[in-house]
Amino acid sequence: MRVLTAIFLFFGPFLAANTLPSEKRKNGPLIQEALAPVQVYLQESSAVFYDNETYKNFIYGTVVSADGLILTKASELDQVSDYVVRIGTKKYRDVKVLATDAQWDVSLVAVDAEGLKPVDLKGESEVELGTWVVANGASERRFRRPRPGIVSAKRREIPGGTPAVLGIRFKMEDQKLLVLEVTKDSGAQKAGVKKGDLITSVDTMTIESEQSLVEYLRNKAPGDELKIGIEREGKTLELTVALVARHELYGGPQNRNDQMSGEFSARRTSFPMVLQHEVMLSARSVGGPLFTLEGKFLGMNIAAANRVESYAIPVENLSELFQRLKDKASIK
Amino acid sequence: MCGFAIPGWAEDDLSFNDQEVPTSLDDFRQIQRVIQSHLPKARAATVCLKLENGSGSGVIVSAEGLILTAAHVTGGVGKEMTVILEDGTEYRGVSLGLQSETDAAMFQIIDDGPFPFVSYDQEDTTKLGDWLFALGHSGGFDQSRGINVRVGRLVRDAESTIQSDCMLIGGDSGGPLFNMNGEVVGIHSRVGGSKEESMHVPLREFQRNWEQLLGEEFIGEGPFAQKGVPGTGFLGVLVEPDSDDGLKVIEVWENSVAQQTGILVGDHLIDLAGEKLTAELFREEMRRRCAGDVIELQWKSGDQIKKQKIQLGQRP
Repeated sequence: MRVLTAIFLFFGPFLAANTLPSEKRKNGPLIQEALAPVQVYLQESSAVFYDNETYKNFIYGTVVSADGLILTKASELDQVSDYVVRIGTKKYRDVKVLATDAQWDVSLVAVDAEGLKPVDLKGESEVELGTWVVANGASERRFRRPRPGIVSAKRREIPGGTPAVLGIRFKMEDQKLLVLEVTKDSGAQKAGVKKGDLITSVDTMTIESEQSLVEYLRNKAPGDELKIGIEREGKTLELTVALVARHELYGGPQNRNDQMSGEFSARRTSFPMVLQHEVMLSARSVGGPLFTLEGKFLGMNIAAANRVESYAIPVENLSELFQRLKDKASIK
Repeated sequence: MCGFAIPGWAEDDLSFNDQEVPTSLDDFRQIQRVIQSHLPKARAATVCLKLENGSGSGVIVSAEGLILTAAHVTGGVGKEMTVILEDGTEYRGVSLGLQSETDAAMFQIIDDGPFPFVSYDQEDTTKLGDWLFALGHSGGFDQSRGINVRVGRLVRDAESTIQSDCMLIGGDSGGPLFNMNGEVVGIHSRVGGSKEESMHVPLREFQRNWEQLLGEEFIGEGPFAQKGVPGTGFLGVLVEPDSDDGLKVIEVWENSVAQQTGILVGDHLIDLAGEKLTAELFREEMRRRCAGDVIELQWKSGDQIKKQKIQLGQRP
């Protein structure tokens, strides 16, 4: 559905307008000062990942053990290969990715540390709509800046809206799918699918219509692998094709609300459960912890969905996920 | 209601509004407590206005279903839209007047009430720095999410526009901005260059034009709504009279609304808004109609009689 936008970008000055200085505004420095008692928790339990090439921080993490285990957003971590982590005022050069969960888009990473102050994973995240929360705003090297917001909507599942694609154009011909085009860098190209191939089956499904493949893909996620039965020059072969997120192949913001949202997270859908708040985050500032005014850990920020909606994985779900990731990495 | 009773603070203590900034967490807690005390009523009165191909927000301010919204949401006078409450209940309604220079508009639910409603800041008491909260159906109606709540302050106050740092997005347009008395003080209109610049139509702008808005007047020359120009409405068919069967379609324009609606060459247009179509009536109607107007058309396609509301396109 198209949405009526606040269409009129307004740049003109307010003549004789009565204006509140920016330091007193919601995200201003004086408000941050008033949040000093919560800043302490962000300072201790946030990890900041810095790109070694640009020296810029590109993602945050949440400290979950005293000896250096950190949870962060997997798909953003994947974008950078050479990085360091800062926790509090300390820098850690040796960072290992131990395990990743594709469903929640979370990676477990480790630095060699001791005596850290992890977040409390035994808490609960049931808070009323309108409750203040605090997350990481812009970061200085040695100081985490608190940014306030409120819990802004019902907690819920965010359904899959990250369409997964094979990376081919096709049309139905004699109960088979004729491949018209293979997109560069797609899973289909990497697996060796060629223009002119006839697709006869996908996994255990025989192709009945174009729609049947589209429906089948709807229940799949980026990263899933499909076995594709192909007829090529009279021969049959089977190729394994990894699905890719549609935006990775075909790019960019999809609608007007996206265009006005700035740097939102590339992966922002398909989460089993989120707590929604309105702390202003960007793609580069998710991954860190979300606290109440009392310093109670509510969850880990997982997506800047758009300019008004930020998502956090609730602490209850994060706690289970942490256990699963530890099992996967064979950590006691 | 609220997890934290703050010693020494009455529920209606709004002294945080007299401070330059909050100085303690208790100030924040009191803001939260006050917002949460108003949320149930505020949410019940905040609606999604659904059009043919888009949506905005609005707020009910009377038990009879009078809604305040933005002119660029209704887009004109006498437009029918669906009103959706947060729980998904739908009502029918029609747009009343609008002020096209400031973006103020009214809308009326035509089904029977009473409806949940909120009061508005009649005395224009809200001042710079006051804490506010914004509601709206951001990005369209989403029942699993519900209404989106945002908090911020009044950061600029000009005669016909107020600005807050409550963040807005498409779909919020027309939605309410509340003060800490739970009164509507503004209607979401547009956004500025940064995420934290949100413009709202102040309630004084509604009050100044109240009777004209109720009286279905189209005030001003835009930019937030444009008066339709008669004759610009375009269906995209060429017709000829065909005895008693109505008007026979002999041509359908490529990409016209007629084509999108599925009207085919050879179909017969038989009825417009309950009136039997003649060549004269059709010509007269199209001369009168503006782009964006909605007409109710009945036509015969083969053996089938079809009936649909069609929003006219722009005459090329």
